[in-house]
Amino acid sequence: MARKAQSHLPQSIRLRSGNQMMAEGALQAGCMFFAGYPITPATGIFKTMIDLLPAKGGIALSAPDEISAIAYCIGASMRGSRSMTATSGPGWALMIESIQYALMTETPLVVSLVQRLGPSTGGATQGAQGDVLLAEFCTSGGYTLPVLCPTNASECYELTILAFTWAELLRMPVILLSDKETGMTIESVDFSSLPRSTAQNRPSNFAFRDLGTHNRTERKGTYYFDALHEIPPFAPVGGDRKVTATGSAHDKQGRLQKNSTETIDVLKHLEQKISWRRDDFVSVVSDLQPSATTLVVSYGVTARAARSAVQQARNAGERISLLVIHSLFPIPVKKLAHALQGVDTVLVAEENMSGLYRSVLERYCKGAKVRGVNKIGAMITPEEILEAVFEEPWQPA
Amino acid sequence: MEVVTTTNGMELVYQKPSTLTDTPFHYCPGCGHGVVHKLLMEVVEEMGIQEQTIGIAPVGCSVFAYNYMNVDMQEAAHGRAAAVATGVKRVFPDKYVFSYQGDGDLAAIGTGETIHTANRGENILVVFINNAIYGMTGGQMAPTTLLGMVTSTTPFGRQQAVMGFPLKITDLIAQLPGAYYVTRQAVHTTNAVRKTKKALRLALEYQPRKKGICFVEVVSNCPSGWKMTPVEANAWMEKNMFPMYPLGDLKVPQ
Repeated sequence: MARKAQSHLPQSIRLRSGNQMMAEGALQAGCMFFAGYPITPATGIFKTMIDLLPAKGGIALSAPDEISAIAYCIGASMRGSRSMTATSGPGWALMIESIQYALMTETPLVVSLVQRLGPSTGGATQGAQGDVLLAEFCTSGGYTLPVLCPTNASECYELTILAFTWAELLRMPVILLSDKETGMTIESVDFSSLPRSTAQNRPSNFAFRDLGTHNRTERKGTYYFDALHEIPPFAPVGGDRKVTATGSAHDKQGRLQKNSTETIDVLKHLEQKISWRRDDFVSVVSDLQPSATTLVVSYGVTARAARSAVQQARNAGERISLLVIHSLFPIPVKKLAHALQGVDTVLVAEENMSGLYRSVLERYCKGAKVRGVNKIGAMITPEEILEAVFEEPWQPA
Repeated sequence: MEVVTTTNGMELVYQKPSTLTDTPFHYCPGCGHGVVHKLLMEVVEEMGIQEQTIGIAPVGCSVFAYNYMNVDMQEAAHGRAAAVATGVKRVFPDKYVFSYQGDGDLAAIGTGETIHTANRGENILVVFINNAIYGMTGGQMAPTTLLGMVTSTTPFGRQQAVMGFPLKITDLIAQLPGAYYVTRQAVHTTNAVRKTKKALRLALEYQPRKKGICFVEVVSNCPSGWKMTPVEANAWMEKNMFPMYPLGDLKVPQ
């Protein structure tokens, strides 16, 4: 007779994929609207939201394409509903138009981009970290978009909550940059260790002093601010105040204008509101060793190989530091500078061909030699990172 | 009639067309794709137009069509097959150009391309495989999914109030003046297979007339996505799909 297997693990430990945890994190963050379109390897988020969101009183919709999916989300968010969509590279390419629209209209939005091998249709079931720059630099004008990058299923949950917080407080789209391995790998998650917090509210008709938000007064318009970095208080479309929103260059009332001083101020404000707070919105894991001369920087699934490599190098007597970056953008300059003290070599490990993130980090690593550990078509192994550290074939002890 | 014998001396009574490669189909057992691939390539072989034929493959299960169809093939981005076919046909007006697309590719993400390609009366053949589901990504609701039909994204069945009605895009196409020949067929029985082959043959024979788009829908199945055996899937298709998507010609040349 078959006997039920007895688990010695605590009840709080469950098997979940990163995609499932992203959906659960969204629910915890108060996400009430999700729209998606099937695409490997992001479909798991879509499917989980379809399964779980309606029971929470939210709305989960199938869209006929990614262009519609993100536009549904923007409409819902402008009505005040926390909204999210999820896709992969080919769908992201279609969403870029509306990402820019969300940025311009100051609409909170979370977009999960689960990377697969590109370009174009690429490799649907092949992981990659090749969309780092496409995610960040997708706007005309090169505006800073927050990009958060989890390394495992638990972080998918935590960073999704953080993404909603940033999106709501900053009134802008935030990108969750996952990858096929992080999203689709099913691993154990200790639910008792997950944050119970929910995402904060977007600024409404009251002041967030710490965010420098101005008190909203009557007749000041949809996008009113004094200093460029202030977040305009949010008033929903369909609410009790008249709201005008446009993706065209506009004044503080939300009226289309070409290049008036006020309109140029609004454009500067779109960048200032994030760059002014760049040190507040940081999420990194610094594992620094005193007197280390080598710093390994990594993110996403590759950070897991980097962690293993750094441990093995330390076991072999090497003094070496590790910086795992969750908040890829804005670049955590201060945390990086701190990790760089005394370091002469920086190794940036990432699963893409030319070192995409390395190319933007280099300017902040003056005085150190910056090298890449890069690969496409398969995950980077700890051994490959160790070979880069020691510059010779790695022989395990 | 000349009797052809194989190398081991047996009489050869049937063989796949030379226009199909030797690559075994990756499609699931019972799937209609393999049959339609073969029919299309048989027609190309019989018309002797292999060298003049250019196919556009979609994104979806039949993304691999170029592995099997031994003609020049180009896979387009998701939904863009008819638009890419337009470019090819405009540059090569005397070639035979076809797109081969599923319901998600043609009737969801590619709706705009499909409608406008037909409305312009592009002189191409569109082969439309309608199995009412996204097969490649694991069985999500498609625009053609029937009301009440369970998919991975309609776990309680497609509800009209939430997700609207099944899209009869072939009926829409038939309304457009740019459409020359529009028909809906199936490949679940010998008889249906013969009719589909005839439709594909007509559609390609019409192409040099340059009278507009020829649009052949094939109502098909997805045993894997529908969670049925192939036999069950075909029976379910007859009972549920055909009433919504009745077989027959929707528009024939006057």
